[in-house]
Amino acid sequence: MQDVKPLYEAVLRGDAAAARAITEQALAAGIEPIRVVNDYMVPAMDEVGRRFECNEYFVPELLLAARAMKGALELVRPLLVKSGIKPLGKVVVGTVRGDLHDIGKNLVSAMLEGGGFEVIDLGVNVSPEKFIEAVKSKNANIVALSALLTTTMPAMKLTIDAFKTAGMRDQVKIFVGGAPVTQKFADDIGADGYSENAPGVVGLAKLHTGAAA
Amino acid sequence: MMNTEQLYQQRLARYVTAMRNEKPDCVPIRPFVAEFTAKYAGYTCQEVCHDYTKAFDAAVKTAKDYGWDAVVPNMVYVWTGLAQAAGLRYFGIPGIGIPHTSGFNYIEPPEGEAWMRDDEYDELIRDPTAFLYNVWLPRVSGEMSKIGEPSTYRNNLALVKSSMAMLQYFYAFGPQIQRMRTESGTVSAIAGIFKAPFDIIADKLRGYIGLTMDMATQPKKVLAACEALMPHLCHVGLTTADPAKQVPIGFWMHRGCVPFVNPGQYASHYWPTLKPIVEEFWKNGHQTLFYAEGKWKHHFDTFRELPDRSIVFHCDRDDVFEVHRRLHDKFAISGGIPNMMLSYGKPEEVRDFTRRVLKEVAADGGYILDAGAIMQDDTSVENLRVMTEVCREHGVYSTGVSTPLAATPPCELPTSLISRRQATGMSGQPVPLVKPGVCLPWEVKVKEMPEIFGDRDLIRKVWNDVESLGNTYIWQLLLSF
Repeated sequence: MQDVKPLYEAVLRGDAAAARAITEQALAAGIEPIRVVNDYMVPAMDEVGRRFECNEYFVPELLLAARAMKGALELVRPLLVKSGIKPLGKVVVGTVRGDLHDIGKNLVSAMLEGGGFEVIDLGVNVSPEKFIEAVKSKNANIVALSALLTTTMPAMKLTIDAFKTAGMRDQVKIFVGGAPVTQKFADDIGADGYSENAPGVVGLAKLHTGAAA
Repeated sequence: MMNTEQLYQQRLARYVTAMRNEKPDCVPIRPFVAEFTAKYAGYTCQEVCHDYTKAFDAAVKTAKDYGWDAVVPNMVYVWTGLAQAAGLRYFGIPGIGIPHTSGFNYIEPPEGEAWMRDDEYDELIRDPTAFLYNVWLPRVSGEMSKIGEPSTYRNNLALVKSSMAMLQYFYAFGPQIQRMRTESGTVSAIAGIFKAPFDIIADKLRGYIGLTMDMATQPKKVLAACEALMPHLCHVGLTTADPAKQVPIGFWMHRGCVPFVNPGQYASHYWPTLKPIVEEFWKNGHQTLFYAEGKWKHHFDTFRELPDRSIVFHCDRDDVFEVHRRLHDKFAISGGIPNMMLSYGKPEEVRDFTRRVLKEVAADGGYILDAGAIMQDDTSVENLRVMTEVCREHGVYSTGVSTPLAATPPCELPTSLISRRQATGMSGQPVPLVKPGVCLPWEVKVKEMPEIFGDRDLIRKVWNDVESLGNTYIWQLLLSF
């Protein structure tokens, strides 16, 4: 029986080559793709998030682990789609209009993917209309907004208001984050959640989709 | 009633005294205001970014009306004229691809397309100036030809226009600084520019992602690259610093702190290639203003290794009360008023918080009032007025000094004599192949010249003087634009 536990270790230490190789072997040995994800990749990313919260891991470790997971997931994803297994939710991610920062956003995307979500990453400088269009076309149920400047934070409120105007506010959960963003700001603009770091977004997403343990 | 020059001298004494961690007559106010000045003066972000004369006007008007002690002559620093002439790919300029109402943004290069590739460390290390000209500049510019490719009309235009634009812009600062002095009695807050070698590699060469991967795959090369950059960055700082040694060198700190790096990386790469330069600045009589963007509290103990008074610590999102507790015995502190509060808070909140800072942080002197981060156009005019008024009312020292500024004291201050002896500055660092300030050395050039007659020193001096312009161009593009 193929020992897949090293996959957990490989993702944890950010070894992309090993993660990919072990995943290939596991799939070739007939291990169910969903087991590879749920029993090894997702717990590894959960542990990465926990270590980050405890100041044992930092952004470099997060990045390396996310890469390792992403590379392995690329092998698994087509098989999951083929077998009709759905992600835990669909998340549209983007940095709001006028803001070109993307590192935090990219980390959020990677952590969400590692957490079992499908991510539609719209990039940077994303208008409210583009967020709405993506939610419609991809049937997403979560939107994650990033802003790194106090001057672009108002665009988060504009985006939330645009969803209200479009009559779609109740269809999505909207989370906000970024260096200057606070819980108070999130509450004031009517966001459904705030996280001060990338791993926290996964917990929020699981909570609001009922996927949390 | 004071005239403007007397007002200027009073403010200069106040500001410099506080930066020396002493008690002046009252707490100086030195807001780092960028696009806020545009909003106050009635310009758009686009206008001040494209037309630096409007930015200059806005800075003077704002400083004068608020009665501030010091400001930066123009903090909307990236002039579009220069950025566009050079075709710089790493800027988002208001009104060009991004809303005209936003401030300018830096753009990280797409992954895999960093301005410096992962296999180019050796070339950078061998001669950073040559690397910047040969490899980096053609890559960051949308107008310039790559070495080895045919040169083009647009390449030639871009080089000439951008270098002349830089000179034109830089030469405009002298009159602006003088204008601030004579029109509003306002001190020019900082002089000179510096960034840490590690941040330069992250921000302008490999990108943050690229550097993070390099730290996993080739950390020794990254360290060697940081070390290779050190003498050049030190040279830029020293040659752009205040000749009067009164206002500090501006040091723009970015992502060298936890959690952007892990503690081990800070200890092995960021700090060891930064500390000697700050020590060298201080040896030469220049303070460094640590603009500590974000949160740097995990590293306060390392900053304490620096000589007393050698830095002014500017507090962004750290807790300013904690900053005071942990650093004020050694260094002056500025900033710490939260930008979110100044932008979106109520005036009463600003009033209460400013009073608290004056009471708990400024009481012993050595504090300069400012927001945490550079203020953009979302900052409230009213809230800044409240902050200023509270300081003028409650920030007066009953025992503070109100005398003209003494001459800059020597660096060998008794309180830090021991640490001064231990500080090696740049003297322990290896000498680079091509020294800082030079691109094509005279020693190379003279070999291909016809026989020299007459005053050889004169010929060499003129060559070196103009060489330094070429050196300034590329290092200023890297550091400032």
